[in-house]
Amino acid sequence: MPMGHTATAEAGSGGLTATEHRLANGLRVVLSEDHLTPVAAVCLWYDVGSRHEVKGRTGLAHLFEHLMFQGSGQVTGNGHFELVQGAGGSLNGTTSFERTNYFETMPAHQLELALWLEADRMGSLLAALDDESMENQRDVVKNERRQRYDNVPYGTAFEKLTALAYPEGHPYHHTPIGSMADLDAATLEDARAFFRTYYAPNNAVLSVVGDIDPQQTLAWIEKYFGSIPTHDGKPTPRDGSLPDVIGEQLREVVVEEVPARALMAAYRLPEDGTPPADAADVALTILGGGESSRLYNRLVRRDRTAVAAGFGLLRLAGAPSLGWLDVKTSGDVEVPVIETAIDEELARFAEQGPTPEEMERAQAQLEREWLDRLGTVAGRADELCRYAVLFGDPQLALTAVQRVLAVTPEEVKQVAQARLRPDNRAVLVYEPLSAESAEHTEDPGIPEDPESEATVEAGADTTVDKDHNEEAAK
Amino acid sequence: MTELAAMEFHPQPRAGEAKPWAFPAPERGTLDNGLTVLRCHRPGQQVVAVEVLLDAPLDAEPAGFDGVATIMARAFSEGTDKHSAEEFAAELERCGATLDAHADHPGVRLSLEVPASRLGKALGLLADALRAPAFADSEVERLVRNRLDEIPHELANPSRRAAKELSKELFPATSRMSRPRQGTEDTVEKIDSAAVRSYYERHVRPATATAVVVGDLTGIDLDELLGETLGDWTGSTSQPRPVPPVGADDTGRVVIVDRPGAVQTQLLIGRVGSDRHDRVWPAQVLGTYCLGGTLTSRLDRVLREEKGYTYGVRAFGQVLRSAPDDTGASMLAISGSVDTPNTGPALADLWTVLRTLAADGLTDAERDVAVQNLVGVAPLKYETAAAVAGTLADQVEQYLPDDYQATLYQQLAATGTVEATAAVVNAFPVDRLVTVLVGDAEQIREAVEALGIGEVTVVPAE
Repeated sequence: MPMGHTATAEAGSGGLTATEHRLANGLRVVLSEDHLTPVAAVCLWYDVGSRHEVKGRTGLAHLFEHLMFQGSGQVTGNGHFELVQGAGGSLNGTTSFERTNYFETMPAHQLELALWLEADRMGSLLAALDDESMENQRDVVKNERRQRYDNVPYGTAFEKLTALAYPEGHPYHHTPIGSMADLDAATLEDARAFFRTYYAPNNAVLSVVGDIDPQQTLAWIEKYFGSIPTHDGKPTPRDGSLPDVIGEQLREVVVEEVPARALMAAYRLPEDGTPPADAADVALTILGGGESSRLYNRLVRRDRTAVAAGFGLLRLAGAPSLGWLDVKTSGDVEVPVIETAIDEELARFAEQGPTPEEMERAQAQLEREWLDRLGTVAGRADELCRYAVLFGDPQLALTAVQRVLAVTPEEVKQVAQARLRPDNRAVLVYEPLSAESAEHTEDPGIPEDPESEATVEAGADTTVDKDHNEEAAK
Repeated sequence: MTELAAMEFHPQPRAGEAKPWAFPAPERGTLDNGLTVLRCHRPGQQVVAVEVLLDAPLDAEPAGFDGVATIMARAFSEGTDKHSAEEFAAELERCGATLDAHADHPGVRLSLEVPASRLGKALGLLADALRAPAFADSEVERLVRNRLDEIPHELANPSRRAAKELSKELFPATSRMSRPRQGTEDTVEKIDSAAVRSYYERHVRPATATAVVVGDLTGIDLDELLGETLGDWTGSTSQPRPVPPVGADDTGRVVIVDRPGAVQTQLLIGRVGSDRHDRVWPAQVLGTYCLGGTLTSRLDRVLREEKGYTYGVRAFGQVLRSAPDDTGASMLAISGSVDTPNTGPALADLWTVLRTLAADGLTDAERDVAVQNLVGVAPLKYETAAAVAGTLADQVEQYLPDDYQATLYQQLAATGTVEATAAVVNAFPVDRLVTVLVGDAEQIREAVEALGIGEVTVVPAE
């Protein structure tokens, strides 16, 4: 039987609470009540991502995620989509390095349907999985790869830089989208084996957030998921740990048909879930997180050598995180000019540390980002799963903002000194093919959510994307 | 089948009782300076959204200065009479706020998001930006150069390149709508701070502007905050500008924007229709959803889920500009990308889908699912303050009543299969669609010509 924890709001959680439960088959459950809007979010994280893939089968976790929408024991064809959308809900699934998630946001009175659907595919996907859907979704995913990576300028930058930053053979050396050759090579039997290995109740966390009755919700979860058998045999993922610093500057120059020169870099940073990772988040926000950041002020406002300059954190728990730098040059400015300026700014920052004003601004920005993420039931459900799967404690989601606000200037300075150094980065330089086209620039070429791949384009299933027809959308 | 036997199956559950939800009704008022204010309290939404609409439309840009509205919009956050550009950005971020501004055909929009605890401070900065923008020579010069640097990136992006070509094809060259919203290299390079200030002085004033404030306003005296901030903004009164009529040529034809070596072809197939003032709009929303609103709509059922030609193709209607006299227009379009070798077959299937729809109509089951989705997702879609503020601002911008969205849901629920079919078939007539293809002309031209969907011309990408 499930066992409950009491729900008491922790200090700094904004009044939000969550209770934890575990079914006999090992499925972990997190519930959080919020009756402000009659909606409920269901989120299911499986502890499997591209880092679990083996050589020759990159992209399998994401291709498999697509197959999870192709019917299951009691659901035919596109029934998962049809039933949720017909109930006034929205849904999607995404795959990253470290996990695969599936989520539905439902009108509150349709919650039970979403639970029934998720249980059906967790317990009986293989009853419906066949060659036809395998071949079809293989083509769909290859077109996803073309659309988001191969057919856009700088589209493969994320893939190239990741491959540089994590050495050959490292579980994070390849990205979730996978290679065309490996997508072609995947077989139906690979998909079946993948399901049997990783899609088990004891390898998942289910969260339900919103206008719910926790007792009733738990009873439904027990009813639908309770009989799915536990299965073990999941291999231990390959070790993702690496030395704190790379020890040399890695570099690749790409000469390609792009509209402007670009300098991108990935710095090796502390693993997520540690105080130094939060300090790194603050450091990167101060350096490149907005239009008052050091790099923006230097490159875009003062030197006017760049059109856009940003620095962000890709948080990873099973391997070092990445500090992601992206600068597009202005006019005919050459890359070394940009690089020198960046090195000067990083060195000065490491030496002096942040000013009190910079700390205040960065922490205010990060606080708003957290309020945004926790401001919807779907966002909260996803964060609860994240902390449960990656760190074993969903409650950490509700206090994450407090940890970011607790970072001190000294910690920021320390992480900058230790990590934001030229010998701790992989650099990717883009040079346009023809000299005359080397005159211009704009927004980052990396995909908006570079670490994850989705079953359908984000937002495309419920709302009209204004950008479809907007040549000038910002 | 061992997997099947392993779990205990239960029948599909039935829905519980639906709880009532309605699109929120805003409270409307006017400040002493003539600024219209809509406010809406959304409990629990700690990040407050503020939208400001300025009656500064693109067709008001002086001839030859396309892009001046965009540069002005961006320059709002580049310094005021109190702060330099760097200081202004720093002060905004100190509030944990974001401020975006962009110019589109109906006017300029500013969008502020800020935690409720710092709303007053952020409103003060927003008011400074509108009341006393610095428009310093050097900052405007930088924004102009920045904008010039962006243009080649837009031309290199297949979906943006397609949108630019479709506008050029559909609208007469004299119409502002035929040209890029943010200007071209020729027009942008002429813009300076004097041009920006002149556009500002002519078109920006509180009497023709509207502010929408949405979020958890518990414990906030909004009247006092507004009085101290946006209430301080002054300006003359003015007559609303007449909205020029929109004409378009939707003769069926194909333009290939040549991108040698492209592994996919970007499709944008469109024409111009009426806007939300047309009584057919709810039926058209419903029919368009059935055609291409989601992965289980008619287009993706064939092109994606049967053939695997694409990651997804969508049909949509997007209002371009509305007018008080119901002469507004929207873009009706189908968009997506397909792999290069299957471009011909994918377009053939797409046209077959449209012809079958015209011949046989929608089914009642399709209509029912579409209504259930479009109406049912409303509480999800409008969970955040920003989503509510955006729609309220759209309504004002499009001369619609404040209860338009609430009424739309009732109308969708009351729309039948026959009406939805008629609306979508009229919206996407097979011989009145302009097709823009951004792709490898050598690879796709022959197959496209064989389809007989109109004359095919090829233009270079740059």
